[in-house]
Amino acid sequence: MGGSNLGPSGPLLYTAAAVVAVFLLAPLVVPIIISFSDTAFVTFPPKGFTLRWYWKILNEPEFTSSFRFSVMLAVIATLGALLLGTPTAIGLVRYRFPGRGMIQSLVLSPLVFPMLVTGIALLRMFTTVNSQSSLVNLTLGHILVTVPYVVRTVSSSLLLLDPSVEDAARTLGAGRLETFWRVTRPQIMPGLVAGAIFAFVTSFDNYPVSMWLADAVNIPLPLMIFTLTSRFFDPGIAAIATLMILVSVALILIMERVTGLRRAMSM
Amino acid sequence: MAQLPRQQAIGTNIADRLLMSATASGPTYRATPPVEARRSAWLATLRQSAPGMLLVLPAVIFFVVLFIVPVGTMITFSFFLQTKTGDIGTTLTLANYARLASVDLYRTVLFTTIRVSLFTTIGTMILAYPVALVMVRGNQMVARVLAIIVIAPLLVNVVIRTYGWRVILTNSQNGVLNWLLTQLGIEPVRILYTEWAIVIGSIHVFLPLMVLPLAAALGKIDPYVEEAARTLGASSWEVFRKVTLPLSIPGLAVGSTLVFSLTSSSFVAPALLGGNFAKMLGTLVEEQIMSVFDWPFGAAIATVLIVIVLVINFAYIRLVERRFPTRATPVM
Repeated sequence: MGGSNLGPSGPLLYTAAAVVAVFLLAPLVVPIIISFSDTAFVTFPPKGFTLRWYWKILNEPEFTSSFRFSVMLAVIATLGALLLGTPTAIGLVRYRFPGRGMIQSLVLSPLVFPMLVTGIALLRMFTTVNSQSSLVNLTLGHILVTVPYVVRTVSSSLLLLDPSVEDAARTLGAGRLETFWRVTRPQIMPGLVAGAIFAFVTSFDNYPVSMWLADAVNIPLPLMIFTLTSRFFDPGIAAIATLMILVSVALILIMERVTGLRRAMSM
Repeated sequence: MAQLPRQQAIGTNIADRLLMSATASGPTYRATPPVEARRSAWLATLRQSAPGMLLVLPAVIFFVVLFIVPVGTMITFSFFLQTKTGDIGTTLTLANYARLASVDLYRTVLFTTIRVSLFTTIGTMILAYPVALVMVRGNQMVARVLAIIVIAPLLVNVVIRTYGWRVILTNSQNGVLNWLLTQLGIEPVRILYTEWAIVIGSIHVFLPLMVLPLAAALGKIDPYVEEAARTLGASSWEVFRKVTLPLSIPGLAVGSTLVFSLTSSSFVAPALLGGNFAKMLGTLVEEQIMSVFDWPFGAAIATVLIVIVLVINFAYIRLVERRFPTRATPVM
């Protein structure tokens, strides 16, 4: 179907959808507008125009150090999730073995399990085994909640790939690793990229696991922003929000280019 | 961002094909004693499953050590009491759960959680319908833009989104909503730090998770079925109520399951929008563990959150999956 197929209530539906779109965009657009306001506190409508809030937050050591820490944490977690999730997806898709269904449910379960509870359980365990490095604890927690995304996206990619291509490579004398690297990997690249983006975003934005595992030294960005919202009442927070929204827009554009947004989301 | 628990039939066809080709070119039979035959069959199975098992082994170990054992330990914890010295008692007890159910303050929190989750679920359903319909059947350009607008907020940090709602709902004249209302000559309202603020914020956070499965379900409905109903004289409302709505229930059910369970265990929205005036289980458990240090009671609240999610998913399987064998494709 090319055009509209909404029947007689089309105009009504378009109007309703437009209202919902405004609702969805409002809390993203409002902080952007306010971030340029030349007032000492958040007010609407904004008055004047200034970039000083951006200058202020970029020179705010708490913000910049949390930002750097979150990027580092997300990169490590993404690599961990790819290393752990890719072989798992291959094992689940390409092989048959007893307990396969159960294992598949297990590795996907953090997606539906309340993350807040995952965080509490991890904190309890790390306390019990006396693991005091917040970096290690956060990394392990973030890998746990990002692996499922990699398993899903890589599995979807593998399903699209005809296994006889891999068989052919093997028959022609390539080893298992060589077959993976030279035949499978290039073809499941969209799945790996989508999985990596999901893993990165999930880790970078994570609050409910991080809130239990962070300490006074390593504070992931979402936690820092949360704290700042109750301490600062000037448009500086709005400037932070604007920067974060821009990062998200960039990621959306990358995803749209690599896999197509709707396809990526339905994986 | 959350996804579905349900298994996809990953690789069923491909693996079956592999198996078939394996048996077709398998070893030729010879007369062997039964015991040896059984053993060699067992060995063959092992040889066949070994590579797959080896591939998933690291993840299995990781998940057992960092997921199953910690969650199991935490649940066990909820059946003990903490002594005054901070040690954990030795006798099994349901006291933590009794406390949650009997103390007024905690019972209020429990009911608030269920109420907010319910209203959020209903709210997302109502808002998701027009959006999903336009995404599936509307003008292609509009549908594409709408899809991006729906998905984009998912990639924006929850704290940032909730902060946006705080700015909009601020109770004083500085709030965007109150400014708008004043411009329209309407009395300003006090929404921030009430349950309604949490509901609005949660609807915003979880709406995409309702729209995507609903759109998937609507996409499967043959438009000619509705066309036929219309030709036979049904009004738009009747077509929706008697044809579109029943056929979209699988998508609605997937969305509701997700939205309800995620809202009930959320923390950021109740903490930033509800404050001290509208507490939910998520904020209560944080307070109990981080400020009061009552681990067993915190573990009991966490276990209740698990139970809520399990009940919702179980209800979904009982009520929907059995009646609608072709369920909506899992989305996000």
